[in-house]
Amino acid sequence: MNVEYLNPFIKSTVNALSTMACLEPSRGNPYLRKTGQKIECDISGTIGVAGEASGSVTVSFSESVARKIVENMLGIQVDSLNDDVKDAVGEIANMIAGGAKGELSEKGYSFKIALPVVCIGKDHYTEYPKDIPCVVIPFSVEEGAFYVEICLKVDDNGK
Amino acid sequence: MKVIVVDDSSTMRRIIKNTLARLGYTDIIEAEHGLDALTKLDGVDMIFTDWNMPEMDGLTFVKSIRSSDSYKKIPIIMVTTEAAKEDIVEAIQSGVNNYVVKPFTPDILKSKIEAVLNR
Ligand SMILES: [Mg+2]
Repeated sequence: MNVEYLNPFIKSTVNALSTMACLEPSRGNPYLRKTGQKIECDISGTIGVAGEASGSVTVSFSESVARKIVENMLGIQVDSLNDDVKDAVGEIANMIAGGAKGELSEKGYSFKIALPVVCIGKDHYTEYPKDIPCVVIPFSVEEGAFYVEICLKVDDNGK
Repeated sequence: MKVIVVDDSSTMRRIIKNTLARLGYTDIIEAEHGLDALTKLDGVDMIFTDWNMPEMDGLTFVKSIRSSDSYKKIPIIMVTTEAAKEDIVEAIQSGVNNYVVKPFTPDILKSKIEAVLNR
């Protein structure tokens, strides 16, 4: 599998969280998620992608990491996964997908991104068709780990 | 100076509003998408709009402002996650005066506002 397309997502994730939430996430080693394998989280934001790459990009946070991000972004205290947290997680997902889209379009992969969808629930995940590989990039900040999952079928024709 | 902030994300509207307030702009109204904003433009002096929104996206919104008799001269700054060069070109050709890519720092927003106002 060509993983050239992972780097733009790593960059856009770090850029979004450092610029908007003053956090400096460190990155672990990416791995392929197996069928049925769970991701530790309480809330996630997903952006659907369609074009020369198609599938989705999901960012998943524990409640404590999500709350910390929103507290830093908005300068407010947050004590639950309320509407502010849901909205912010969707917008972070948007920045991760949009930022990577900018760089990938320069490499010749252009695609459109959809509006964010936010899910809440312990360790939820989405199952994809077997021909779409799901690469998980683990990150961590002081409050805990979070994950960016890239499930994309990339059209490599002539590239 | 009356400003409208158009974005489907309440987080983004709040961040843009906080930044504008720190720069001295306090007469600020909000809209969740283009259609909502079109009904709120009376007396508005500057528009900040997102691109990806439900109901009416930012590009369609910009085009309808530029073809309206009453509002076509209002300066528009697009604030969006769309960072591809061809998207920026398309937005500028549709009538956007300046373009801010999310995520942004307050300094970036400030310099884009100044660039638009000192045109
Ligand atoms: Mg939006």
